[in-house]
Amino acid sequence: MQLGFLVDLRLCMGCKGCEIACKVENEVPLSTWRLRVKYVDVGTFPETKRTFTPLRCNHCANAPCERICPVSALHYLENGIVNIDKERCIGCAGCVMACPYGAIYIDPQTQTADKCTYCAHRVASAMMPSCVVACPVEANIFGDLDDPMSNISKYIQSHQGNVQVRKPEKGTFPHHYYVGGGNVTLNPLASFRGEGHNLFNKLTHLPIGGH
Amino acid sequence: MVHETIAATNAVVTLDVALPGIVWGWIITMNMWAKSIGTGIIFLGFFLLKKYPEQTGFIRFPIVAISIVFIHIFLFFTVIDLHQMFRFWHIFFYPHLTSAITIGAWMATGFVGLLFGMAYAIYMKKDEALYDKLLGWTVLLAVPVTLYTAGLMAQSTARELWQMPTESAQMILAALLAGTSAMILLGGNKFSDLIKRDLAIILGLSAAAAFILYMAELIFGSMKAEEVAAVLHYVKGGEYTVMFWIGQVMAFIVPMIFVCLSIKNQSYYLLKIAAVTALIGLWVTKHVWLVIPQLLPMS
Repeated sequence: MQLGFLVDLRLCMGCKGCEIACKVENEVPLSTWRLRVKYVDVGTFPETKRTFTPLRCNHCANAPCERICPVSALHYLENGIVNIDKERCIGCAGCVMACPYGAIYIDPQTQTADKCTYCAHRVASAMMPSCVVACPVEANIFGDLDDPMSNISKYIQSHQGNVQVRKPEKGTFPHHYYVGGGNVTLNPLASFRGEGHNLFNKLTHLPIGGH
Repeated sequence: MVHETIAATNAVVTLDVALPGIVWGWIITMNMWAKSIGTGIIFLGFFLLKKYPEQTGFIRFPIVAISIVFIHIFLFFTVIDLHQMFRFWHIFFYPHLTSAITIGAWMATGFVGLLFGMAYAIYMKKDEALYDKLLGWTVLLAVPVTLYTAGLMAQSTARELWQMPTESAQMILAALLAGTSAMILLGGNKFSDLIKRDLAIILGLSAAAAFILYMAELIFGSMKAEEVAAVLHYVKGGEYTVMFWIGQVMAFIVPMIFVCLSIKNQSYYLLKIAAVTALIGLWVTKHVWLVIPQLLPMS
């Protein structure tokens, strides 16, 4: 079994329901996110549109975070999920340095690394991840990539040519796919990011994480 | 940070999480700097004791003492940088051997053990033969202890600027630069002119080699990957430009010039100035190179 995620960006409307569901399910502290939706505005007025990109751990087949972790706090589960044992983590932040997707952060409450686990605890109980359940448009598709009859496999098959992963050049082989993505949505260097880019506040740098 | 945007898309991030800031900051810089001195002085001590055994016997205890002090500074800053520092022992009881951190921790432990063995041999037992035997093994372990940080940086897949084998070359050169500087300051005027000349040459060459590597990365790095180009903007007119050049001038350019002048004028005083600026500049240089890749947004 190899669990994976696919987000159809053509369906996502940026409601952030997945973000909130994730926060509630996993008790993610304030100022940190396991999953978040990035907004990028594209075009020049009046020809403008807003794109939405949910970003979470990619659960890579060749995960740099798992490799760099000195104590195996980051480890693979049999279903392919890259899980984290917060009791074992020493908080060296090597994984934060290694993850090319910026998916790992230092939890300000536990002072250990944390990230999306595809809701491994729910999956173990045969439930879907909370973000999948919360999505009102079924833009999040979750399932077994090894099973050709699973929804995610069928979706990938039927959208060949329009399925992408983030930063494939890193050789991490992510198990997180996007349909309908583009350079602007998936490449962090392809959009302007000014000071105060956050719509709802002017917090541009988190004071936590480092010393 | 923007690198690929085009007028046709005019893409602007309007909502995302705040950037995480610097996660590995000055504490890690201290770690690398102190380690360079701690291992570098052993490399230089080994070289001098082999080449000039009659004239350099007096350095046996001081080099071990300096190495022990600086390796413990390195270990101290390594541990306090952990967000869960009291779980440090997990590295030894739950080791993950694909991690450069694990390998480094084990190697550093062995290195410290040998250093204490050397200190015991020379200070308590007054046994130079045992000391010299242990020194050989200590030098061998000093190599991975010096290089493991380069391995760690190379494993940091997200930070394109930190590449192997460049980082390993930089780490060894930093150890030689710092070790030579420490030896110059340690030796006072007890060294013969021949030894001073050797130290000056090693200092000058390691400074020159490190400077060439930094300049090569600065000029050509941008041509290999867009992330590298974006990161290098921080030292090419960006907010770390001044600091970067202060580091380069103090760590490499001033030492190169002063080494030449000291050899020409046979002035040990100039060599000491070169050693001091090299040590200060090395810290600054290491810090800039450590921090700038962390400024790049990953999402």
